[in-house]
Amino acid sequence: MKPAPFDYVVPRTIEEALAELDRGAGDATILAGGQTLMPLLALRMATPGIIIDINRIPELQGIAVDGGAVRLAPVTRQNVALGDAGLAKALPMVTTALSHVGHFQTRNRGTVGGSVSLGEPAAELPATVLALGAEIEARSINGTRRIPADEFYLGPYSTVLEMDELVTAIHFPDWGAGAITVFHEVARRPGDFALVGLVGAMTLDQGRIARAGLAWFGMGATPIKAVQAEAAIVGQTLPDIDWREIADIAVSETDPFDDHSADADYRRTVGRSIFARTLADAANQKVPA
Amino acid sequence: MSEHSIELTVNGRRFQERVEARVTLGDFLREQLGYTGTHLACEHGVCGACTIRLDGIAVRSCLMFAVQADGAEITTVEGAAAADGTLNPVQQAMRECHALQCGFCTPGVVMTLTSLTDGDQKPDEETLLKAMSGHLCRCTGYQGIRKVIKRLTADGVVEPAGEPA
Amino acid sequence: MSAPAIGATRYIGQRTLRKEDLRLLTGRGTFTDDVRVPGALHVAFIRSQIARGRITVLDLSHAREVPGVHAVLSAEDLGDLNVKLSNMHLKDEGGPPTRPLSGDYVSYVGDPVAMVIADSRYIAEDAAALAWIEYEEEDPLITCADAMDGAVVHPGTENNIVRQVGTPPNPKFDEIVAGAAHVVTGTVRHQRIAQSTMETRGVVSNPTGSGELTVHIGCQSTHVAAAAIAQAFALSENQVRVIAKDVGGGFGLKAQPWREEIAAIAASLHLRRPVKWIEDRLEALTTSCPARESDITLTLAFDADAKLIAVDCDYNSNNGAYPHMPDAGMPVMMFLPGPYRMPAYRFRGRAWHTNTVGLGGYRAPWAIEAMIRESVLDKAARQIGIDPVEIRRRNLLTESEVPTRNPLGIPIDNITPVACLDKLLTKVDVAAFRAEQAAARAEGRYLGLGIATYIEPTAAVGIFPLWSDQASIRIDHAGKVTANLSTHSQGHGIETTHAQIIAEQLGVHVDDVTIFQEDSTRSGFGPGAAGSRQAVIAGGAVIRASKLLVDKIKTVAAHALNANPDDVTIANGVVHIAGAEAMTRSLAEIAALAYGDPQRLPPGMESGLEAQYRYAPPSMFTHASAAHACVLEVDAETGFTTILRWVSSEDCGVQINPAIVEGQIAGGLAQAIGCVLHEEFTIDARGNPTAVTFKDYHLPAITDIPVFEYTHITTPSASEGGFRGVGEGGMIIGGATLLNAVADAMVPFGPLPEDLPMTPAKLLRMITSRSAA
Repeated sequence: MKPAPFDYVVPRTIEEALAELDRGAGDATILAGGQTLMPLLALRMATPGIIIDINRIPELQGIAVDGGAVRLAPVTRQNVALGDAGLAKALPMVTTALSHVGHFQTRNRGTVGGSVSLGEPAAELPATVLALGAEIEARSINGTRRIPADEFYLGPYSTVLEMDELVTAIHFPDWGAGAITVFHEVARRPGDFALVGLVGAMTLDQGRIARAGLAWFGMGATPIKAVQAEAAIVGQTLPDIDWREIADIAVSETDPFDDHSADADYRRTVGRSIFARTLADAANQKVPA
Repeated sequence: MSEHSIELTVNGRRFQERVEARVTLGDFLREQLGYTGTHLACEHGVCGACTIRLDGIAVRSCLMFAVQADGAEITTVEGAAAADGTLNPVQQAMRECHALQCGFCTPGVVMTLTSLTDGDQKPDEETLLKAMSGHLCRCTGYQGIRKVIKRLTADGVVEPAGEPA
Repeated sequence: MSAPAIGATRYIGQRTLRKEDLRLLTGRGTFTDDVRVPGALHVAFIRSQIARGRITVLDLSHAREVPGVHAVLSAEDLGDLNVKLSNMHLKDEGGPPTRPLSGDYVSYVGDPVAMVIADSRYIAEDAAALAWIEYEEEDPLITCADAMDGAVVHPGTENNIVRQVGTPPNPKFDEIVAGAAHVVTGTVRHQRIAQSTMETRGVVSNPTGSGELTVHIGCQSTHVAAAAIAQAFALSENQVRVIAKDVGGGFGLKAQPWREEIAAIAASLHLRRPVKWIEDRLEALTTSCPARESDITLTLAFDADAKLIAVDCDYNSNNGAYPHMPDAGMPVMMFLPGPYRMPAYRFRGRAWHTNTVGLGGYRAPWAIEAMIRESVLDKAARQIGIDPVEIRRRNLLTESEVPTRNPLGIPIDNITPVACLDKLLTKVDVAAFRAEQAAARAEGRYLGLGIATYIEPTAAVGIFPLWSDQASIRIDHAGKVTANLSTHSQGHGIETTHAQIIAEQLGVHVDDVTIFQEDSTRSGFGPGAAGSRQAVIAGGAVIRASKLLVDKIKTVAAHALNANPDDVTIANGVVHIAGAEAMTRSLAEIAALAYGDPQRLPPGMESGLEAQYRYAPPSMFTHASAAHACVLEVDAETGFTTILRWVSSEDCGVQINPAIVEGQIAGGLAQAIGCVLHEEFTIDARGNPTAVTFKDYHLPAITDIPVFEYTHITTPSASEGGFRGVGEGGMIIGGATLLNAVADAMVPFGPLPEDLPMTPAKLLRMITSRSAA
């Protein structure tokens, strides 16, 4: 399992990287953490003519917290993000999601941006950016744009990114000091692809749900935002909510398929029960002072 | 296909080498530098046998290109023991707890556990068990490895073995 | 842990630290890919993309043009070197020949049709990608059911039956069953398993001279490999040297060289260059001979007291296209009666060719016998309404009933399954569990307890290559001990265990004993790791060879020191004369005398301290016995199974090194857990393997395997040393125990589906469909 030949370039700035992407004219692939790309290269399922290594561009690394909003630079290592105190305080659900990504060893190299831009339907981070309403900043030599997460994912491993675009930041909105973490993943073993997963955040205001962002992973060709379920609970007081009913709504928004790991029926059945239980548990959390 | 010059330190020795871009770090260490202790058992980043330390951190050498290690300090399993051959605490614990049989997955396990326990680090059992979920072993059923983890997190307490023969 | 104490057993029974670990922990092992031969070329195979059909175009021209490629060889190019391979008994049993490369007809996805030999594996793969093949595709046969009435896999054969086995006809059998008080039937469909040794297959073949061939190969016996290679290429075994210092797991996969390994050797002979092939994991998961795929149906007929009166079994095994271990269930038939009384027994087994990779060996190839027998016993217990332990007690052979012969005439002696079961039940409080289980069920939680008993036929002798083992031991002039054994380890720890035996026998420190087993030219023939045999048989050989040396040392010392040989003892490498402390000599001194001062030896005695012995155990099988219990919970929300507790109660005779015994049991149990819950080599309807990486083929990880508890009974065997084999036992009883536990957990929802593995989806479906009902 040896990769096919390619030319390798190491730009030192974002501009250099964009120039390489443009020059590559569709035959170039970005190498960040490599934890997903390398197996594809080894299996010769990907045979790019040019590999652009973006690991040595300082502006692509780092975490900036401004109030409660967070800017994650894409080549930030998953384990570095996992250990970041500022991120944990502002967006604890992101930290929780990160702790489930791959294995300890793959998180040492794997990047936040890599996972977000790959668009693996059963991965945690794409669902997380979707749930929290993040924006993905993408640049090419022609300019910069910010893409809302709910417009970003098209299908398995397929996003709206053009061939000459590089993700340069992930912008998370401010969810406030008391945002409650919603997270549950069903996987055979730590590090496996999730069979079913749920991630998101809720905020409470005097016993009512003020804001909710919830997304599924492993329940369709892309991560799926449970917009109807969100709408059904926002404004409701906690005791009025029948979580089983909301779970039914949330599952109805999904489109799971059969694959090697599980079939659609399994996903819907398990999804329904974990949604109800996870949200009910999350809703019982006290808002920190 | 591009070729590149790289400089790196492996087990304390400086190397200047030329590599083709597509050669993985694992293959480079084994074939070009002769450090065959690092094993390639899957070449797709699941089994962990190829784990080495890159600038102190445990990474899968099958999931990096050699060219990416330019400027890095690498430790392989050959560099885990002391210069005089004394086994490091992880290696010693693995021997005492019978944590290996065929030995093929072993170098990766040694490097992951060493990277998490050397120096002043005091990880808990849960951390080490989770890190071990990134390693596959076909021989031992992980029994000895569990004992090693208990030993490494409990300051030298020896786990009682099964009943006497 | 290695500190000797003066006295009787200093090493036998000790958890002596392994000598192998010093090199394996420091990255200084020598596995096949670590072997460097100057000028070696590298192989990548060109393989069929379809499961069945005729090749109409095989264009290798572009592959040949890649710089760095030395040759691209098809079956035609290899010519006579595209030799016939034989199975592990090295007999031509007729049937369609297996050759390294297929010609113009391919029989499974991955069937090798050509090989690229190049300067590096990277380049070889580049070239292989440029091969152009066109096919006339035919519809493949994938399952045994397909094979039963499908078009023959091998042109020219009459049907797809590889072979069949069965018990002799018994005209009364059906009558007996008809008169039974209870008749219970169960079926298990065992999935295809990829053995997944952590080190894949590999070979470095070096034609070192005219009539000399040195081969480094991942194997389970250097001797079997040499014999297979010699036979294939019409060489004699003394022209083939096989070396294998460290092998990363065998488990039956590497019992003999198969198509790709022999192809690489053929290429080395063709090119007169050293050639290396290292299998990659994609190849290992899709084209290494897989194991286990079989269907088995068992009917148990009982009298009114729940005693077995008849047992009927039907077995079908998917042998694929080119099985290296053809199997119609002969060992299943032989061992299914196990430790039970079976007055009437009927078995029919058939092996089927299909368009899939050929069947290979895997730890205890007959393990399904315990799985089906123990699971149908439990089913019978539930049906009849008695306790599963009780149904076993009524049917297990008691110690007073042995020695006996099983329904096939196989002698059974020295078995202790009842004692193992009794001891197990002192560790597992079944009544307390049942109370806990009932309370949990009321809360919607599903706990299960599985128990199984078995006997394992270890150390088989009587059919080539399963014969004896040989030990050649010498004490050098410095008093250090070197032993060349006919054994082989792929993780077994023989360098340690057999050094323990020798050190015990000779009265030396275990650190002063070094075992060599890696070179076929350095010891006599042995089949290596095959059927849990090396502790028993090679153990016997080293004991007898050591005794010859001890006798000689005593005789030499007594003669030189004017003493009685009966007064001579050796301890800690020192030779003592009882009652004459001044005559104490080091073993080194006696050795120097034996080698260098023949005048001081008894007249006519051969000089030196070297002895050898070839040992075969006294019986066809040396049985081990065990009973295991497992407690688990099936999660009602996800269908996930969590094993909460596992107890092994095992009688493997005298244990040389309990840590190594437990390691063997644990390894087998882990693989059994993989079979029952996790692993599945899946193939689609066109014959394409669909679990091609470790992401899809789920080897058990640390979180899947509980901590095992062990309790031992020691019933010494009749063979020298009192050892019994233990290598395969965990695998055999593990599957049975676990399947019983899952079935027990799911009792509220009905019987388990027949097909393994018991995935979360299957179990959850049982729960939700019953809850909905």
